[in-house]
Amino acid sequence: MVAVENPIHRAYLLKIVGEEGLKIVEAMPEGEEVTDEHIAEITGISLNTVRRSLYLLYEHRLAVYRRKRDPDSGWLTYLWKICPEALDSALEAEVRKLINKLNARLRYEKDHVFYACVNGCARFVFEEATENNFICPFCQGSLEYMENSTIVEVIEERIKELSAALCS
Amino acid sequence: MIEEALEYIRSNPDGVLQSDLWKALGIDSRKCSRIVAKLLKDGLITREEELAEGVRTYRLRAVERPACTDRFTPLMASDIFDPCAGCTDECVPERCPKLSEWLFALAFSKSTGQKPHAAASL
Repeated sequence: MVAVENPIHRAYLLKIVGEEGLKIVEAMPEGEEVTDEHIAEITGISLNTVRRSLYLLYEHRLAVYRRKRDPDSGWLTYLWKICPEALDSALEAEVRKLINKLNARLRYEKDHVFYACVNGCARFVFEEATENNFICPFCQGSLEYMENSTIVEVIEERIKELSAALCS
Repeated sequence: MIEEALEYIRSNPDGVLQSDLWKALGIDSRKCSRIVAKLLKDGLITREEELAEGVRTYRLRAVERPACTDRFTPLMASDIFDPCAGCTDECVPERCPKLSEWLFALAFSKSTGQKPHAAASL
């Protein structure tokens, strides 16, 4: 069985395939091929959910499959194998993706002035706030200037930490 | 193909000759050179010149990564995992509410002095 002990690996799998998906991963024999029907049987999870989870894992390169045709019936059987060794490279890909998104967000945060509803409904850029006469369109509360220097700082810090994760 | 090349190099602790790599992967040497250049640029492999049967080639070795469980903790903000992982929503990072929630959790941790990524609490 595949034991997912690293808390980050667990969090990642939970994010991608959810709790049932994590159960499926942990029920898969390590280094061996297994059919989706067998996994559904031993976990008690519906076959549809098992297949959906396995395809999601496949999309993230965390599982591979091989098709085998039954010579008598002509039916195709899918044999699945989990690739826990690929978790780190999958996480590296996620880190690269997140760095790109954070860079885009950082530019946006630096290029705009923000106003927020005093009742916490939403945050607006200056242009939207003026269009609404500094009144919240949801609750009619007033919109007040919102300092975003902390957000800018945390994005910059986190980009550095994520970049270090790729170099370490 | 890049991942396959990296896996192949990693599976050979003594390194792989570039002239053997493209043969093993079933690709041509030009494509192999581009893959090697990308892996070098990402710092995933190292390259040393070597003569093999009188022909100049390169020995490629995977860069050893410490098996550090903390390496990816910056993907966490408090107990929220990277919102972009597995996300299928239309991607607008400037206004994405999930990314905002993750960033606000980070900012909150910073302002309250909490550990910014508490993976141990998962």
